[in-house]
Amino acid sequence: MSELSAQLAAALPENSGVRPGWLKDLRESGAEQFRMHGLPTRKDEAWKYTGLAALDEAGVQLATPSELPLSGGSHPAPLAESALHLWMLDGQILEQAGAMPDGVTVLPLKTALIEGINGLQALLESLSGRHPKGKSGDGFSALNSATLDSGVVIHVAAGMDGGRMSLAWSSSQAGQPLLFNSRVCLILEPGARLELLEQFEGPDDNANTGNIIVQVQLDKDAVLQHIRFQQESEKAALITRTEVLQKTRSEYAYYGFDLGGGLIRHDLHASLLGKDAKSSINGAYLLDGRRHVDNHSRVDHFATGGTSDQYFRGVAGGSGRAVFNTAVCVHPGADETEATQSNANILLSKRAEVDTKPELEIYADEVIASHGATVGQLDELAVFYLRSRGLTEKAARHLLTTAFCQSVSDRLPDSHLGELISQRMMEVMPHAED
Amino acid sequence: MSTMLKITNLHATVAGREILKGLDLELEAGEVHAIMGPNGAGKSTLGNVLAGREGYEVTQGEVIFNGKNLLELEPEERACEGVFLAFQYPVEIPGVNNTYFLRAALNAQRKYRGEEELDSVGFLRLVREKLEVLHIGDELLHRAVNEGFSGGEKKRNEIFQMAVLEPTLAILDETDSGLDIDALKTVAEGVNRLRSKDRGMIVVTHYQRLLDYIVPDKVHVLADGKLVATGGADLALKLEEQGYAWLEDGGIKPLEADSTMEAAGA
Repeated sequence: MSELSAQLAAALPENSGVRPGWLKDLRESGAEQFRMHGLPTRKDEAWKYTGLAALDEAGVQLATPSELPLSGGSHPAPLAESALHLWMLDGQILEQAGAMPDGVTVLPLKTALIEGINGLQALLESLSGRHPKGKSGDGFSALNSATLDSGVVIHVAAGMDGGRMSLAWSSSQAGQPLLFNSRVCLILEPGARLELLEQFEGPDDNANTGNIIVQVQLDKDAVLQHIRFQQESEKAALITRTEVLQKTRSEYAYYGFDLGGGLIRHDLHASLLGKDAKSSINGAYLLDGRRHVDNHSRVDHFATGGTSDQYFRGVAGGSGRAVFNTAVCVHPGADETEATQSNANILLSKRAEVDTKPELEIYADEVIASHGATVGQLDELAVFYLRSRGLTEKAARHLLTTAFCQSVSDRLPDSHLGELISQRMMEVMPHAED
Repeated sequence: MSTMLKITNLHATVAGREILKGLDLELEAGEVHAIMGPNGAGKSTLGNVLAGREGYEVTQGEVIFNGKNLLELEPEERACEGVFLAFQYPVEIPGVNNTYFLRAALNAQRKYRGEEELDSVGFLRLVREKLEVLHIGDELLHRAVNEGFSGGEKKRNEIFQMAVLEPTLAILDETDSGLDIDALKTVAEGVNRLRSKDRGMIVVTHYQRLLDYIVPDKVHVLADGKLVATGGADLALKLEEQGYAWLEDGGIKPLEADSTMEAAGA
């Protein structure tokens, strides 16, 4: 176990007084697992390309929720208008603005754990059930469970439309880089709708690590649109996991944009448990400098007639490193599934690197599935075409790489937000170099 | 009238193979020249060399455009100086909006010339004007550059770009290829509307039929990398009748009447 893992394990909170009992069990099982395996290492297949040396070197320390003052921090300007804004500091709700839409309940996780909220216990336990013993690839999740306390629960009642809710994450700037844990639970009852807009934009000197798990439960016919915009500092690390459980005819659409961050890892996993459920998972990542962005996206089809579409575009310049893993598993009985995976990457420098791997497992009948992964350069003929009309070579390449990533923001149903994000991407688009 | 373009003894290779083998051409402002010739004669190479495409290496000769050594300029500088190549195969650029692209191009050129850049309102006004003159609908504006365009739409888009960018020298590389007669007429009409005393045009074509609609001041025959015959508009008609077979034995059979001949390899 690394020094960092040992330090974190030693700093885990005491559980003796924790109530209710099931929460104590969750935290203890997380702690037990973390003490046994610690954080993942490159020996874990899922972490082969993503090392944690940077966290070790920075001397990251575990943030303890109870000691944190809920004031200060720096607010990023909101990315877009929302019915309700939640400002998160070190994983806890700092402030909220706007009116609570009808049928929507928002509670700090700590409060929800004490007061209880319909479906919360089952949702939290569903995650820990997915930690196979003896496998340390989920070290961050174990750590998150062992410290389960900070976070937010969002509940939308049956048939209600919660509109757009924004969740802006930031962290305290202390002398020592901190690792904070947070859990977001979204429960959408049958036919409920919500748009969740997550924003990660800390100050330039932010060197903290966020370890955040978003757990989503979509009951039948529920619809969630999940947008994630990340433009953290080059020193910041962000380890996130999104777990989505989908019942009959529910729809989950994800649009992720990684424009910054030093070390970014996102595991996104949708389980289509009910029939005719739909998952559309889209993402763009732009890297330069020495940034590292690792996306693992996986869809499990357990029921008939499900549809999933995973669409990712990446641009890597400088000494940037992108890791992309997309997987689909069509389980026995999930007949008539349609599953597509597409990942394309553009390398803008010789030092940049992209490791992409699609995986496909099919154990059902009448399945339509496709996958494709490419790593390449810009189309030189297109570059010439643009130059022949007067654009400089730099402008031509910039325009083409932006357009490439824009194919993701164009997929957003809200075209205004799509243009806004496209503009932000254009501002940070890495340039080509020899 | 003054000489706008003077090409002298131009030799160019593509992938190590010599395609242009000593081409000479002079074009005056206001003139439209047609360059005809069999496949493989080097017609498209000429357009690409003038536009500055990578991979087209000039090994000898010079090209003077409005007093400047064109071959020393980057492709975008040539464009900003007023050279426009209408591509034989316009490139599809997914994700780049046609209007956005054209405004970026026009403003890049205006900036180069020290003119004020156009804002989106001013640009749209200009675009509407040009569309009207060319009798083109505005459906092309909202789509990605050439993406999913039919052959005719792609060529019309090239002419539309030309109308907006108002080049001094336009080179139309087989703009007629792959067009049905209606599309051909539309494109030719567009070109004719852009003819002016200040603008030179080189129309490269394999077939004579385009020249029924765009009547050139001069017709050149390009064969094996050189101009082997030059004449008036009627030369195109003779080529239509006789084909290019007369070039094949390396000798140039004299064509009748008022054609001025420039013997090959002389």
